[in-house]
Amino acid sequence: MKISTKGRYALEALLDMALQDTAGYVALNGVGVRRGLSENYLEQIFSDLRRSGLVQSLRGQQGGYRLARDPSRITAGEILRAVEGPLVPVACVADGPGSGASADAARNRKACCPRIDRCVTRGVWIRVTDAMERAADGVTLADLLAETRANLAAASEGASI
Amino acid sequence: MKVSTKGRYGLRAMIEIASRSGSGHVPLALVAERQGISGNYLEQVVALLRKGGFIRSVKGAHGGYRLTRPAREIRVGDLLRVLEGSLSVMDGDDPAMAREAAGQDDAVRRAIRAQVWERIDRSVAGVVDAITLEDLVEEARKKGDPGALHYEI
Repeated sequence: MKISTKGRYALEALLDMALQDTAGYVALNGVGVRRGLSENYLEQIFSDLRRSGLVQSLRGQQGGYRLARDPSRITAGEILRAVEGPLVPVACVADGPGSGASADAARNRKACCPRIDRCVTRGVWIRVTDAMERAADGVTLADLLAETRANLAAASEGASI
Repeated sequence: MKVSTKGRYGLRAMIEIASRSGSGHVPLALVAERQGISGNYLEQVVALLRKGGFIRSVKGAHGGYRLTRPAREIRVGDLLRVLEGSLSVMDGDDPAMAREAAGQDDAVRRAIRAQVWERIDRSVAGVVDAITLEDLVEEARKKGDPGALHYEI
Protein backbone atom coordinates (compact mmCIF):
# COMPACT_ATOMS: atom_id res chain seq x y z
CA MET A 1 0.00 0.00 0.00
CA LYS A 2 2.50 2.57 -1.15
CA ILE A 3 1.89 6.30 -1.28
CA SER A 4 2.45 7.72 -4.74
CA THR A 5 5.11 10.36 -5.41
CA LYS A 6 2.25 12.74 -6.21
CA GLY A 7 0.95 12.46 -2.66
CA ARG A 8 4.39 12.84 -1.13
CA TYR A 9 5.31 15.85 -3.25
CA ALA A 10 1.96 17.52 -2.55
CA LEU A 11 2.60 17.35 1.19
CA GLU A 12 6.18 18.59 0.82
CA ALA A 13 5.22 21.43 -1.47
CA LEU A 14 2.40 22.70 0.74
CA LEU A 15 4.56 22.44 3.81
CA ASP A 16 7.28 24.38 2.01
CA MET A 17 4.76 27.04 1.04
CA ALA A 18 3.47 27.33 4.59
CA LEU A 19 7.06 27.65 5.83
CA GLN A 20 7.57 30.75 3.70
CA ASP A 21 5.35 32.39 6.29
CA THR A 22 3.89 34.92 3.92
CA ALA A 23 0.34 36.03 3.30
CA GLY A 24 1.28 36.53 -0.33
CA TYR A 25 1.48 34.17 -3.26
CA VAL A 26 4.40 31.78 -3.55
CA ALA A 27 5.83 30.94 -6.96
CA LEU A 28 6.02 27.26 -7.89
CA ASN A 29 9.52 27.49 -9.29
CA GLY A 30 10.72 28.60 -5.86
CA VAL A 31 9.06 25.57 -4.30
CA GLY A 32 10.60 23.40 -6.99
CA VAL A 33 14.09 24.70 -6.35
CA ARG A 34 13.83 24.42 -2.56
CA ARG A 35 12.39 20.94 -2.61
CA GLY A 36 14.26 19.60 -5.63
CA LEU A 37 10.99 18.91 -7.41
CA SER A 38 10.08 19.28 -11.07
CA GLU A 39 8.09 22.42 -11.75
CA ASN A 40 5.99 20.60 -14.35
CA TYR A 41 4.93 18.01 -11.84
CA LEU A 42 4.19 20.73 -9.32
CA GLU A 43 1.91 22.45 -11.83
CA GLN A 44 -0.16 19.26 -12.10
CA ILE A 45 -0.25 18.82 -8.36
CA PHE A 46 -1.27 22.41 -7.68
CA SER A 47 -3.91 22.22 -10.34
CA ASP A 48 -5.49 19.35 -8.35
CA LEU A 49 -5.07 21.25 -5.10
CA ARG A 50 -6.75 24.32 -6.54
CA ARG A 51 -9.66 22.28 -7.85
CA SER A 52 -10.13 20.85 -4.37
CA GLY A 53 -10.16 24.32 -2.87
CA LEU A 54 -6.98 23.93 -0.84
CA VAL A 55 -5.02 26.66 -2.62
CA GLN A 56 -5.75 29.82 -4.56
CA SER A 57 -3.79 30.96 -7.57
CA LEU A 58 -2.80 34.27 -9.02
CA ARG A 59 -1.35 34.73 -12.48
CA GLY A 60 1.39 37.13 -13.41
CA GLN A 61 4.70 38.40 -12.12
CA GLN A 62 3.85 38.46 -8.42
CA GLY A 63 1.68 35.41 -8.89
CA GLY A 64 1.79 31.85 -7.72
CA TYR A 65 -0.22 29.98 -5.15
CA ARG A 66 -1.25 30.43 -1.57
CA LEU A 67 -3.17 28.36 0.96
CA ALA A 68 -6.92 28.88 0.76
CA ARG A 69 -7.31 28.56 4.52
CA ASP A 70 -5.32 28.45 7.72
CA PRO A 71 -2.85 25.52 7.98
CA SER A 72 -4.67 24.38 11.13
CA ARG A 73 -7.72 23.74 8.96
CA ILE A 74 -6.05 21.66 6.27
CA THR A 75 -5.41 17.99 7.05
CA ALA A 76 -2.85 15.68 5.46
CA GLY A 77 -5.81 13.49 4.44
CA GLU A 78 -7.40 16.31 2.46
CA ILE A 79 -4.12 17.01 0.67
CA LEU A 80 -3.61 13.36 -0.23
CA ARG A 81 -7.20 12.91 -1.40
CA ALA A 82 -6.97 16.03 -3.55
CA VAL A 83 -4.10 14.58 -5.60
CA GLU A 84 -4.60 10.84 -5.26
CA GLY A 85 -8.33 10.41 -4.94
CA PRO A 86 -9.82 8.29 -2.14
CA LEU A 87 -7.25 6.59 0.09
CA VAL A 88 -8.43 3.07 -0.73
CA PRO A 89 -6.22 -0.02 -0.80
CA VAL A 90 -8.57 -1.83 -3.18
CA ALA A 91 -10.79 -0.23 -5.85
CA CYS A 92 -14.06 -1.86 -4.75
CA VAL A 93 -14.04 0.04 -1.45
CA ALA A 94 -14.86 3.22 -3.34
CA ASP A 95 -18.04 1.65 -4.76
CA GLY A 96 -21.07 0.15 -3.09
CA PRO A 97 -21.96 -0.07 0.62
CA GLY A 98 -20.00 2.01 3.09
CA SER A 99 -18.82 4.42 0.46
CA GLY A 100 -21.78 6.79 0.55
CA ALA A 101 -22.26 5.96 -3.12
CA SER A 102 -25.38 6.70 -5.14
CA ALA A 103 -27.71 4.22 -6.84
CA ASP A 104 -25.69 4.72 -10.02
CA ALA A 105 -22.56 3.69 -8.22
CA ALA A 106 -24.39 0.72 -6.75
CA ARG A 107 -25.14 -0.43 -10.28
CA ASN A 108 -21.58 0.22 -11.35
CA ARG A 109 -20.13 -1.74 -8.50
CA LYS A 110 -21.11 -5.02 -10.09
CA ALA A 111 -18.78 -4.12 -12.93
CA CYS A 112 -16.02 -3.50 -10.42
CA CYS A 113 -16.20 -7.01 -8.99
CA PRO A 114 -18.91 -9.65 -9.33
CA ARG A 115 -18.19 -10.94 -5.83
CA ILE A 116 -18.86 -7.67 -4.06
CA ASP A 117 -22.08 -8.71 -2.33
CA ARG A 118 -20.63 -11.79 -0.66
CA CYS A 119 -17.02 -10.76 -0.31
CA VAL A 120 -15.60 -11.17 3.15
CA THR A 121 -12.22 -9.56 2.55
CA ARG A 122 -13.81 -6.31 1.38
CA GLY A 123 -14.67 -5.69 5.02
CA VAL A 124 -10.98 -5.83 5.83
CA TRP A 125 -10.19 -3.27 3.12
CA ILE A 126 -12.94 -0.97 4.35
CA ARG A 127 -11.47 -1.04 7.85
CA VAL A 128 -7.99 -0.41 6.47
CA THR A 129 -9.33 2.58 4.53
CA ASP A 130 -10.93 3.98 7.69
CA ALA A 131 -7.67 3.52 9.57
CA MET A 132 -5.69 5.37 6.89
CA GLU A 133 -8.23 8.18 6.61
CA ARG A 134 -8.43 8.60 10.39
CA ALA A 135 -4.67 8.77 10.70
CA ALA A 136 -4.17 11.16 7.78
CA ASP A 137 -7.04 13.40 8.92
CA GLY A 138 -5.62 13.52 12.41
CA VAL A 139 -2.69 15.63 11.23
CA THR A 140 -2.96 19.19 10.01
CA LEU A 141 -0.56 21.30 8.02
CA ALA A 142 -0.11 23.32 11.22
CA ASP A 143 1.07 20.19 13.05
CA LEU A 144 3.55 19.49 10.26
CA LEU A 145 4.71 23.10 10.32
CA ALA A 146 5.37 22.94 14.06
CA GLU A 147 7.32 19.69 13.72
CA THR A 148 9.36 21.01 10.80
CA ARG A 149 10.28 24.14 12.74
CA ALA A 150 11.25 22.02 15.73
CA ASN A 151 13.44 19.90 13.45
CA LEU A 152 15.07 23.03 12.01
CA ALA A 153 15.71 24.45 15.47
CA ALA A 154 17.23 21.19 16.69
CA ALA A 155 19.45 21.04 13.61
CA SER A 156 20.78 24.57 14.05
CA GLU A 157 21.48 23.93 17.73
CA GLY A 158 23.43 20.86 16.80
CA ALA A 159 25.36 22.77 14.14
CA SER A 160 26.45 25.52 16.46
CA ILE A 161 28.18 23.17 18.92
CA MET B 1 -1.98 2.95 -1.76
CA LYS B 2 -2.95 -0.29 -3.34
CA VAL B 3 -2.96 -3.83 -2.02
CA SER B 4 -1.69 -6.11 -4.78
CA THR B 5 -3.53 -9.11 -6.20
CA LYS B 6 -1.18 -11.30 -4.14
CA GLY B 7 -2.55 -9.75 -0.96
CA ARG B 8 -6.16 -9.93 -2.07
CA TYR B 9 -6.08 -13.46 -3.46
CA GLY B 10 -3.84 -14.72 -0.69
CA LEU B 11 -6.33 -13.59 1.94
CA ARG B 12 -9.22 -15.20 0.08
CA ALA B 13 -7.27 -18.44 -0.36
CA MET B 14 -6.50 -18.52 3.37
CA ILE B 15 -10.19 -18.08 4.22
CA GLU B 16 -10.98 -20.95 1.87
CA ILE B 17 -8.35 -23.25 3.37
CA ALA B 18 -9.25 -22.27 6.93
CA SER B 19 -12.97 -22.81 6.33
CA ARG B 20 -12.38 -26.41 5.35
CA SER B 21 -9.39 -27.31 7.49
CA GLY B 22 -11.67 -29.14 9.88
CA SER B 23 -12.72 -31.61 7.21
CA GLY B 24 -9.21 -32.28 5.87
CA HIS B 25 -7.01 -30.82 3.21
CA VAL B 26 -8.11 -28.38 0.56
CA PRO B 27 -6.86 -29.03 -2.95
CA LEU B 28 -5.47 -26.02 -4.75
CA ALA B 29 -7.72 -26.62 -7.73
CA LEU B 30 -10.78 -26.27 -5.51
CA VAL B 31 -9.56 -22.97 -4.06
CA ALA B 32 -8.85 -21.68 -7.56
CA GLU B 33 -12.28 -22.66 -8.84
CA ARG B 34 -14.27 -21.36 -5.89
CA GLN B 35 -12.38 -18.09 -5.67
CA GLY B 36 -12.14 -17.52 -9.41
CA ILE B 37 -8.35 -17.29 -9.40
CA SER B 38 -6.08 -18.81 -12.05
CA GLY B 39 -4.38 -21.98 -10.82
CA ASN B 40 -0.95 -20.77 -11.92
CA TYR B 41 -1.17 -17.49 -10.08
CA LEU B 42 -2.59 -19.19 -7.02
CA GLU B 43 0.45 -21.46 -6.89
CA GLN B 44 2.71 -18.42 -6.55
CA VAL B 45 0.54 -17.00 -3.80
CA VAL B 46 0.37 -20.31 -1.99
CA ALA B 47 4.16 -20.67 -2.16
CA LEU B 48 4.45 -17.39 -0.26
CA LEU B 49 1.94 -18.55 2.35
CA ARG B 50 3.76 -21.84 2.76
CA LYS B 51 7.12 -20.08 3.17
CA GLY B 52 5.46 -17.79 5.65
CA GLY B 53 4.59 -20.84 7.72
CA PHE B 54 0.83 -20.44 7.59
CA ILE B 55 -0.06 -23.53 5.57
CA ARG B 56 1.55 -26.82 4.71
CA SER B 57 0.94 -29.13 1.83
CA VAL B 58 -0.11 -32.71 2.09
CA LYS B 59 0.89 -34.91 -0.82
CA GLY B 60 -1.04 -37.71 -2.38
CA ALA B 61 -4.26 -38.35 -4.22
CA HIS B 62 -6.33 -36.71 -1.51
CA GLY B 63 -3.73 -34.07 -0.77
CA GLY B 64 -3.96 -30.32 -0.60
CA TYR B 65 -3.27 -27.65 1.94
CA ARG B 66 -4.11 -27.11 5.54
CA LEU B 67 -3.34 -24.56 8.23
CA THR B 68 -0.29 -25.04 10.42
CA ARG B 69 -2.07 -23.63 13.45
CA PRO B 70 -5.59 -22.61 14.50
CA ALA B 71 -7.17 -19.80 12.49
CA ARG B 72 -7.59 -17.71 15.62
CA GLU B 73 -3.79 -17.64 15.98
CA ILE B 74 -3.24 -16.19 12.51
CA ARG B 75 -3.54 -12.42 12.25
CA VAL B 76 -4.58 -10.81 8.99
CA GLY B 77 -1.69 -8.37 9.49
CA ASP B 78 0.87 -11.19 9.45
CA LEU B 79 -0.67 -12.66 6.30
CA LEU B 80 -0.54 -9.32 4.53
CA ARG B 81 3.05 -8.66 5.59
CA VAL B 82 4.11 -11.92 4.00
CA LEU B 83 1.97 -11.49 0.88
CA GLU B 84 2.79 -7.82 0.32
CA GLY B 85 6.33 -7.74 1.67
CA SER B 86 5.49 -4.84 3.90
CA LEU B 87 2.43 -3.05 5.22
CA SER B 88 4.08 0.34 5.17
CA VAL B 89 2.89 3.18 2.94
CA MET B 90 6.58 4.00 2.53
CA ASP B 91 8.21 2.39 -0.48
CA GLY B 92 11.48 0.80 0.52
CA ASP B 93 12.54 0.44 -3.11
CA ASP B 94 12.27 4.14 -3.80
CA PRO B 95 15.72 5.77 -3.39
CA ALA B 96 14.19 8.94 -1.95
CA MET B 97 12.38 6.89 0.68
CA ALA B 98 15.56 4.96 1.43
CA ARG B 99 17.38 8.23 2.08
CA GLU B 100 14.61 9.30 4.40
CA ALA B 101 14.73 6.01 6.26
CA ALA B 102 18.50 6.36 6.64
CA GLY B 103 17.91 9.68 8.36
CA GLN B 104 19.72 11.60 5.66
CA ASP B 105 16.89 13.91 5.08
CA ASP B 106 15.71 17.37 5.74
CA ALA B 107 13.37 18.80 8.32
CA VAL B 108 10.36 18.82 5.98
CA ARG B 109 10.56 15.17 4.94
CA ARG B 110 11.31 14.02 8.45
CA ALA B 111 8.25 15.84 9.77
CA ILE B 112 6.04 14.26 7.11
CA ARG B 113 7.45 10.82 7.79
CA ALA B 114 6.97 11.05 11.53
CA GLN B 115 3.55 12.70 11.50
CA VAL B 116 1.92 11.19 8.43
CA TRP B 117 3.49 7.99 7.10
CA GLU B 118 4.38 6.41 10.42
CA ARG B 119 1.02 7.44 11.84
CA ILE B 120 -0.81 5.80 8.95
CA ASP B 121 1.34 2.68 9.29
CA ARG B 122 0.55 2.38 13.01
CA SER B 123 -3.14 2.90 12.37
CA VAL B 124 -3.27 0.25 9.65
CA ALA B 125 -1.25 -2.24 11.72
CA GLY B 126 -3.61 -1.68 14.65
CA VAL B 127 -6.57 -2.65 12.50
CA VAL B 128 -5.18 -5.65 10.61
CA ASP B 129 -3.44 -7.08 13.66
CA ALA B 130 -6.76 -7.09 15.51
CA ILE B 131 -8.47 -9.27 12.88
CA THR B 132 -7.77 -12.99 12.87
CA LEU B 133 -8.35 -15.54 10.15
CA GLU B 134 -11.00 -17.05 12.41
CA ASP B 135 -12.92 -13.76 12.36
CA LEU B 136 -12.99 -13.89 8.58
CA VAL B 137 -14.04 -17.56 8.49
CA GLU B 138 -16.86 -16.71 10.89
CA GLU B 139 -17.98 -13.87 8.67
CA ALA B 140 -17.88 -16.10 5.60
CA ARG B 141 -20.12 -18.55 7.41
CA LYS B 142 -22.55 -15.80 8.31
CA LYS B 143 -22.80 -14.81 4.67
CA GLY B 144 -24.09 -18.28 3.97
CA ASP B 145 -22.53 -21.65 3.52
CA PRO B 146 -19.37 -21.02 1.48
CA GLY B 147 -20.12 -24.18 -0.41
CA ALA B 148 -23.45 -22.92 -1.69
CA LEU B 149 -22.83 -19.31 -2.64
CA HIS B 150 -19.64 -19.25 -4.63
CA TYR B 151 -21.01 -20.45 -7.89
CA GLU B 152 -22.27 -17.90 -10.41
CA ILE B 153 -25.78 -18.72 -11.54
